[in-house]
Amino acid sequence: MDYFFIIDFVQSLADGLLFGTTYALIGIGFTLIFGVMRKLNLAYGAAALAGTYVGLGLFLTFNAPPFVVFLASAIGAGLIGLVVYYCCFRFTPEAHPMASLLASVGMLLFLEEMMTHVSHGMPHPYPSVLSGATLELGDIWIRGDLLFVFGICVVAMALLFWLLYRTPLGLATRAVSQQPRAAQLCGIDSARVNALTFVIAGVLGGTAGAMTAAAVGILSPIIATGLTVKGLIVVVIGGLGSIPGAIIGGLLVGAAENIFLLLRGVTERDIYVMLLLFLFLTLRPGGLFGSAATRD
Amino acid sequence: MDFYFGLLQIFGVHTLLGLSAYVVLLTGQVSMAQAGFYAIGAYTAGAGTAMFGIHILPAIIVAGLVTAVIACIVGFPALRVKGLMLVVATLAFGEMVRLFFFNLTWQVDRGGELVGPNGAEGFRSIRYFPEHGWEVWHVTAFIWAVVIVVMVALWWVDRTRAGAVLRAVGHDETAAQSIGLNLTAVKVGAMTAGGFIAGLGGGIYAHTVTHIEHGVFGVLLATFAIAYPILGGLGSVFGTVIAVLFIQGFLIEGLRFLGDWRSLLFGALIVLAMNLRPTGLLGEHAPRWFRRRKTGSEPLELKEAN
Repeated sequence: MDYFFIIDFVQSLADGLLFGTTYALIGIGFTLIFGVMRKLNLAYGAAALAGTYVGLGLFLTFNAPPFVVFLASAIGAGLIGLVVYYCCFRFTPEAHPMASLLASVGMLLFLEEMMTHVSHGMPHPYPSVLSGATLELGDIWIRGDLLFVFGICVVAMALLFWLLYRTPLGLATRAVSQQPRAAQLCGIDSARVNALTFVIAGVLGGTAGAMTAAAVGILSPIIATGLTVKGLIVVVIGGLGSIPGAIIGGLLVGAAENIFLLLRGVTERDIYVMLLLFLFLTLRPGGLFGSAATRD
Repeated sequence: MDFYFGLLQIFGVHTLLGLSAYVVLLTGQVSMAQAGFYAIGAYTAGAGTAMFGIHILPAIIVAGLVTAVIACIVGFPALRVKGLMLVVATLAFGEMVRLFFFNLTWQVDRGGELVGPNGAEGFRSIRYFPEHGWEVWHVTAFIWAVVIVVMVALWWVDRTRAGAVLRAVGHDETAAQSIGLNLTAVKVGAMTAGGFIAGLGGGIYAHTVTHIEHGVFGVLLATFAIAYPILGGLGSVFGTVIAVLFIQGFLIEGLRFLGDWRSLLFGALIVLAMNLRPTGLLGEHAPRWFRRRKTGSEPLELKEAN
């Protein structure tokens, strides 16, 4: 336990917490969709990444500035989210949850292949901002681009909270997630709310995808599986349907991942993250902020 | 001709994978751990024949039993949760198994050659079939003998009280519990049976390809495992077989002439199939050839029977 180890440890922790905000965004997306539809959208991670590729396309063809690229990624992912809703969830019957689950798996395969097809399976550079800058706090260096990622993710979460708690659309969304039938009796069109939730979740996912790519510096189709798995883990740790839970879960997973990376190396890192998940499932099956298990 | 035998072998091992998920799906649980169980079976059976030189039949049975024990142990914590949480828990378990084999290096010296799992390189030269002079059709017949035994066993179980219990839990847990069924026992039992079948399948798979590595047993294989029974319909074991033929035979081999576009069409066709037939290709009910013949062809009676 010498001084340098402690510095390394704090450094990893800080980097992990900053990067963890992208996991938190993905987790929020899964939670939102599950909240209103009570269904799992396995295509979500792939849709988020597909949106990121839309932004990348803009960057490669028009050499667009980074902010335009990020915005295009978010909007692209939102639109792809809408397509996923109409292909996999709108027309499959409520009574058969397996049908929409498998349809979203089909969509996942389709989107992944699409991305591999478009990118020829090769990683591409993705624009980033503040990549050269560092913020020095004593012996700990905070990377400028990670700080930027953190800032954007926090802004996205703030916007989401404003949308959910300060607008009529947010009220309708919360109503549908609490009691779909009662919401419909009050005149809320639940199909429209569901569709809009997919768009909102897609925009969040696109932001997360863009920020992941910006922090890593490259974009490759293989990120999709990682996004899906990490996002699901975040949801379980935070508690299903809880947005604060997803945020805390995201930060926790980001931090844990970086610390295990430091302690055990890159090949064993994810094993310990999965073990963390199992620990949560056994000790707190409802997650950190989850309500008591209900009959679903 | 060898090509078609090879294709039949692929159908066989994938049918076993699908059937292992089918048992668990009957209780209404979506398990993404089947790829992990498959990996455990593959590595165990591979170690049995290549490293310790035992016969293939005991090797795959041992692989099945080992996997069943692990599935049983995993089942207890994992099945405390349900729905989405179970998907995530089993997904995490599958990934954990894959990463375990990614990091596993354990080689023994056999005839001046090092054999055994070697980390990221995988497990090479599981050459039981060529070393013992098995021809392609021998292997194919062996695989399908195992598949048919498993299918008949599952078909028979479905006709007994155990099958009714599994389906009761799958349809409504609370109702099943209220008539005195032990949910944990039923679910863990299904998971154990699924683990045994996945272990058998994985063990055979390792021997047909002779080289296994961690990458094969990823999330994609796990989604295939649950895709077969759901796409085919949970009515009977034939749903899974039909779906394997549809995916492996038609979508993967039949559309090969489309080149790169095949893989794009693949996902789109699954989406389409689930929109058109949400209960699967064969539906939720077992085929009732015998019964229909007995009840005659009066339309009213048929409607009630269905």
